Amino acid sequence: MSRKLLHHGFRALTALCALLACSILCWLISAIVRRGWPAISWQFFTEQIRLVGASGGIFYNLIGTGILLLTALVTSLPISISLALLHGVYLKEGRWKRSLETLLYVINGMPSIVCGIFGLIVFVHFFGWGKSWLSGGLLLGIIMLPTVTVALMERISSLPISYIEAAAGLGLRQSQIIWSIILPQSLSGLITGSLLGLARAAGEIAPIMFTATIFAGATIPHGIKESPVLSLPYHIFILAQDSFDPSVGAKVWGTALVMIALVFVLSLIALPARLKLREEAHHD
Amino acid sequence: MNRRFSITRLFSYGFSALAVGTVMAMFVLLFIQSLRVWQYEGLGFLTGTRWFYRQQQFGAAPMILGTLITAFTALLLAAPVGIGAAIFVSEFLHPRLRLTVKIVIELLAGVPSVIYGLLGVLYLRNWIYELLTPFDPLSGDTLLTGAVLLAVMILPTVMTLSDDALRSVPAIQRHAARGLGLNSTEVALHIALPQSARGLLAALLLALGRAMGEAIAVFLVVGRQDNQWPNRLLSFQPLIQSGQTLTTKLASSETNIAYGDPLHWAAICGLAWVLMVMVAGITLVSIFFSQRHVP
Repeated sequence: MSRKLLHHGFRALTALCALLACSILCWLISAIVRRGWPAISWQFFTEQIRLVGASGGIFYNLIGTGILLLTALVTSLPISISLALLHGVYLKEGRWKRSLETLLYVINGMPSIVCGIFGLIVFVHFFGWGKSWLSGGLLLGIIMLPTVTVALMERISSLPISYIEAAAGLGLRQSQIIWSIILPQSLSGLITGSLLGLARAAGEIAPIMFTATIFAGATIPHGIKESPVLSLPYHIFILAQDSFDPSVGAKVWGTALVMIALVFVLSLIALPARLKLREEAHHD
Repeated sequence: MNRRFSITRLFSYGFSALAVGTVMAMFVLLFIQSLRVWQYEGLGFLTGTRWFYRQQQFGAAPMILGTLITAFTALLLAAPVGIGAAIFVSEFLHPRLRLTVKIVIELLAGVPSVIYGLLGVLYLRNWIYELLTPFDPLSGDTLLTGAVLLAVMILPTVMTLSDDALRSVPAIQRHAARGLGLNSTEVALHIALPQSARGLLAALLLALGRAMGEAIAVFLVVGRQDNQWPNRLLSFQPLIQSGQTLTTKLASSETNIAYGDPLHWAAICGLAWVLMVMVAGITLVSIFFSQRHVP
């Protein structure tokens, strides 16, 4: 009977591991909601920061994060589409295709603080932009690039070959096939990838802390040079370092709640569809 | 499909070249900017244990050690739990519940690092302080605190990639083993785990790289104490003291101060370059071990 004992013991042990992972998420959400909820009010969203974060709201932080994310999206979309087309259409199986995949792995694993230092050298000093929303957006675009590209790549490679053959049989040129078959048919991959990429970029601080964002005193930027923005994660980052003042404490947890809600909403729109697609792929 | 000139093709190659160029530029630019410190310190930049920028001493060894200690401890904590959970999800869990668990794990992966940092500052720091009371710690800001936080942060990575590796074992092998009378535990231990060993190793390496590159959460809880070089290398002593990692140094305000002084700035860029090479190296080894082609 020791086989059976081992079986039940092992199953229980692995179940405990999975339970631990799930309970961490539950604890995390409950801790943030419990402490952050009292800070949430209409004024919290519409007022600007006051008294070094002890009072007021996060209006311009929301605007700033929005500007950064929009710039990042605009930056990463054309590059992601190009890389995915190169991978799915232009490159043949072989060394170049594998190199492209390796490149995406490396960008995906790139420490975000290294991107930050790179941006500090290139945008802030070489280009002389100072702290600017544009450099932050460009750097966050690099951060979300692999997520978007891989989602689109997976979708393109799962397109039925008969679609492309049929289009080629009708005499369409390669670029016509791309624009009328491949891209429209893989739009869902692009959308879910973008949402997940945005969710990832929204919480990043390391790339923007030296290049784009400040803690207080910025509103809507009017140009490129010397026009920083406020942002949600940097707000939390600064306040977390002196979170002993109770009124600051309430605000920082409120901001954390907004931050995590934003990220979860973006992920939850994208995830179920994407995971289902992957599960189905495993069934073959 | 004919392969004559097209705007689409031109743009695809152009934008892709931009991406490749940016990565290359990072690698080259950071090295060029750090040349001065390599000339000044030589390999002593990597092995020196003293970092006093006012005295023009730049030894990065304590930070490299801090990075290695936190990342490996985090992996040691996360690996058994992550792989265990992955085995449960792929081998034992009913397929209908699988999607739910996977969504939970992906959500956990999406929690911003600053949120982990905040929870680390407010909760974990105190727990670690109480845990370490018998050793009489100075504070709860230790490398161990950073490592525990990192372990939680890389747990979803370990779990998702291990799950993928386990699931890539062909179903026919499982069926054959079940047909021979093995129960699902034995299938997991004797078929799935050995078959996916390379994939699991790749998953752990990728998680290790992620742990090394994480800056913000560690920054908030690690204490950021410079020049912590332990008397004995192989002991728990450095783990329960506050320390500094490569990322926390780069994220500190010293980066802003450094630009005025060429040598100091070169030293900062040198740290960034070393970090980048370490993480990229681990990523490349991980790709070597994984047979899958998408991150």
